[in-house]
Amino acid sequence: MAAAAAGINKQGALATMEPCIRHGRGAHGGNVKVLECGVCEDVFSLQGDKVPRLLLCGHTVCHDCLTRLPLHGRAVRCPFDRQVTELGDSGVWGLKKNFALLELLERLQNGASNQSGMSEDVLKGMGECIIRCDEDESHTASMYCTVCATHLCAECSQHTHSTRTLAKHRRVPLADKPHEKTLCPQHQVHAIEFVCLEEACQSGPLMCCVCKEYGKHQGHKHTVLETEANQIRASILDMAHCIRSFTDEVSEYSRKLVGIVQQIEGGEQIVEDGIGMAHTEHVPGTAESARSCVRAYFADLHETLCRQEEMALSVVDAHVRERLIWLRQQQEDMTILLSQVSTACLHCEKTLQQDDCRVVLSKQEINCLLETLQKQQHQFTELADHIQLDAGIPVTFTKDNRVHIGPKMEIRVVTLGLDGAGKTTILFKLKQDEFMQPIPTIGFNVETVEYKNLKFTIWDVGGKHKLRPLWKHYYLNTQAVVFVIDSCHRDRLMEAHSELAKLLTEKELRDALLLIFANKQDVPGVVSVEEMTELLSLHKLCCGRSWHIQGCDARSGMGLHEGLDWLSRQLVAAGVLDVA
Amino acid sequence: MKHFLRVVTQFFVFLYCKCLWRGLKFVARKLTGRCELQRICYNNKHGARRTLKIESSLRCSKNALLQSALSVHPDKVEKTIEDIMALKKINPDTNPQLGISLQASLLQIVGYRKLVGEVEKLRREQYDCENQEHEDMLMKLWKELRPDSPLTGRISKQWCEIGFQGSDPKTDFRGMGLLGLSNLLYFAEHDKTTALQMLHDSLQPKHNETNSPEWEQKNIDKAIGYSFAIVGINITDLAFSLLISGALKTHLYNVAPETPSLRDLQQTFCYLMQEFQRFWVDEDPSDIMEFNRVRSKFHRRILRQLKDLDTALCPHFTASDLHLVNL
Repeated sequence: MAAAAAGINKQGALATMEPCIRHGRGAHGGNVKVLECGVCEDVFSLQGDKVPRLLLCGHTVCHDCLTRLPLHGRAVRCPFDRQVTELGDSGVWGLKKNFALLELLERLQNGASNQSGMSEDVLKGMGECIIRCDEDESHTASMYCTVCATHLCAECSQHTHSTRTLAKHRRVPLADKPHEKTLCPQHQVHAIEFVCLEEACQSGPLMCCVCKEYGKHQGHKHTVLETEANQIRASILDMAHCIRSFTDEVSEYSRKLVGIVQQIEGGEQIVEDGIGMAHTEHVPGTAESARSCVRAYFADLHETLCRQEEMALSVVDAHVRERLIWLRQQQEDMTILLSQVSTACLHCEKTLQQDDCRVVLSKQEINCLLETLQKQQHQFTELADHIQLDAGIPVTFTKDNRVHIGPKMEIRVVTLGLDGAGKTTILFKLKQDEFMQPIPTIGFNVETVEYKNLKFTIWDVGGKHKLRPLWKHYYLNTQAVVFVIDSCHRDRLMEAHSELAKLLTEKELRDALLLIFANKQDVPGVVSVEEMTELLSLHKLCCGRSWHIQGCDARSGMGLHEGLDWLSRQLVAAGVLDVA
Repeated sequence: MKHFLRVVTQFFVFLYCKCLWRGLKFVARKLTGRCELQRICYNNKHGARRTLKIESSLRCSKNALLQSALSVHPDKVEKTIEDIMALKKINPDTNPQLGISLQASLLQIVGYRKLVGEVEKLRREQYDCENQEHEDMLMKLWKELRPDSPLTGRISKQWCEIGFQGSDPKTDFRGMGLLGLSNLLYFAEHDKTTALQMLHDSLQPKHNETNSPEWEQKNIDKAIGYSFAIVGINITDLAFSLLISGALKTHLYNVAPETPSLRDLQQTFCYLMQEFQRFWVDEDPSDIMEFNRVRSKFHRRILRQLKDLDTALCPHFTASDLHLVNL
């Protein structure tokens, strides 16, 4: 084996040395700098820093040098002709590789490796491996003399082995050249023939027959060298196979990566149209589309906000206009009143200065005047009670950015639910804080309930089967839906569920808040709030809207105000108004 | 000045209530030689006029016996009348009519109180599925209203046909309890033609007489007839509130010769149902959603009617006829 290895080494060294020389004079002979970067003069490589990349002007520069070029905004200038090349999002990485050059480089390297011969090829004694004739350097060997152990060409073989004795030398074609036997380093005369299989001898398993019988490997398990070598060769072949598929996989993966990068970046792409004409087309990358998506969303948001702002301002304007008009009117009235009073005063003064007869005569007139004056005074005090001399314009905002002027915010609520759930009872409990005798509601009840600084207009619609289709007339402009469920009736929960599900699909109620009252929690053994959430699968049903489930008891009023609290918290924009 | 006048008026009213009224009463007694009760009985016709005056007279009386007469047990009314006669020093032989009139009025007053208690008890009694009596009543109601189609089961969609909300009528009786059921049953049994007519009308689309097709297209929602049973329960509530507030006294004192009974109330209920049906048709509401508006308007109308002391909410005979009957 050692002999074989030495042979390989000798041949390998020879083979690797030679192409280098030949590269110099052969392929690279004309223009040596073709495969070198024009800036740093380093040789290009297939990967890594020295990958050749193309600029827009057509010049090729290695990646490393490109990264060092100064940036002009998002562009670089060619170091040869100062032309500008725009860079994409991924910078220098986005520039195209010079694939022509890479192919050339690859081909050159492959040629070299073929010539240098991987050890595997040499072991197989492949024919394309060029071996020089030992007699004449310029000849190529084709035969091997087994006796002289020399490589010969046909001509030299004839020539050197022309004598009779030499002619008897067995010469074989180069392909059939026997492997040289390596000699045992301890017993110089014996060739190595066996391999030790013991664990302890793995560092030096080779042995000759002497080592095997008497030397250090005496009594060790062993096998014949050749079979062992063949086995190892086979395993190497297997491995090579594996490596090849692995490389395929890796390259496939990297190709995919390139594709994905391209998809993300987007760019020009050649597309064949309907009539078969090829033309380039700009294909937007995913990065671009994501960016445009974000832009569109915020543009939309901005637009909505602008609209809402305009609307709110117009509400304020209208309010101010109305108020000013009213105030001016009042002002005018006051001026008129003032002038009337002053004329009356003047009249009185005049009368005072007249003689007695006239004063007596004008008594009636004065009385009349006094009466009107009193009337006016009365009117004024009455009016003054009503006028709010407060210049303040209290402004509050709802969650949906509507403006509200005034101390109380008005909210429209619809109470729905199955018949007998307790809608009307809840309504009247909230309104009058008293327990009404529940009777089936036919039609609807509507009441205004003031709570904190909110004014709820609550529409309570009957839950009768036939009335349910009419619920939709009460949805319009509703900010909140209160759905009442009777916790006592387990068997009606599913009916309630289906009604609720139907409600939630209504377009008019898309933005409405949903407050669920689990009523009659005072009765022992009822469905608890948690259980009901589970049973009605509320988390799934009400996904994507603001909702709340509140246990309550309409008889005692327990939980009702908590529900209203939740509603007010939801309706009033956070931080604008402290409802708590 | 105005304010001062107001204070003075108030003072005089107070004074009148405190002493002057009694003084006047005393003077009247001396002049006519009759006590107040006598004067009331002789000057007023039998019915609400007399009974209401007697009631207020007794309530305002200083005498403990007269005050307690209002809450006396019906069986002891005769004894109470004798006591009152003795107290007022009225000779029963010279005034035979007084004793009878007084007794009748007192029976009405006491009976009304009793009726309120009775009705309240009935109302509080919840419908109970376990109670066979309740179940029988419900089944009877069905049979009266729907003699031709048998009920498929105790819990059935069929209940909606006679105007219950769901498949189990039990849930609809809640606030009115057994009172609602008994009223409906009474109506169905004793005024069958009207009840069946109402039920028939309630099942028909409201504008079935105007048969133009665009009407029906436009009012597809309006085709929801009003529901017989729950309207009945609502009207029961109306009757109940009239009874509790005392507004129904006018009617019951006019109608019932002596103690008003549950039957009288049930008859009133029948009348209210009929009247409401007529009122509903006259009002011509666009759909069932206007029920509460119509109902409160109806309530106001009935209250106005009851302000007139001669009113009797009777479909079959007027108040004047009633006096003839009683006399």
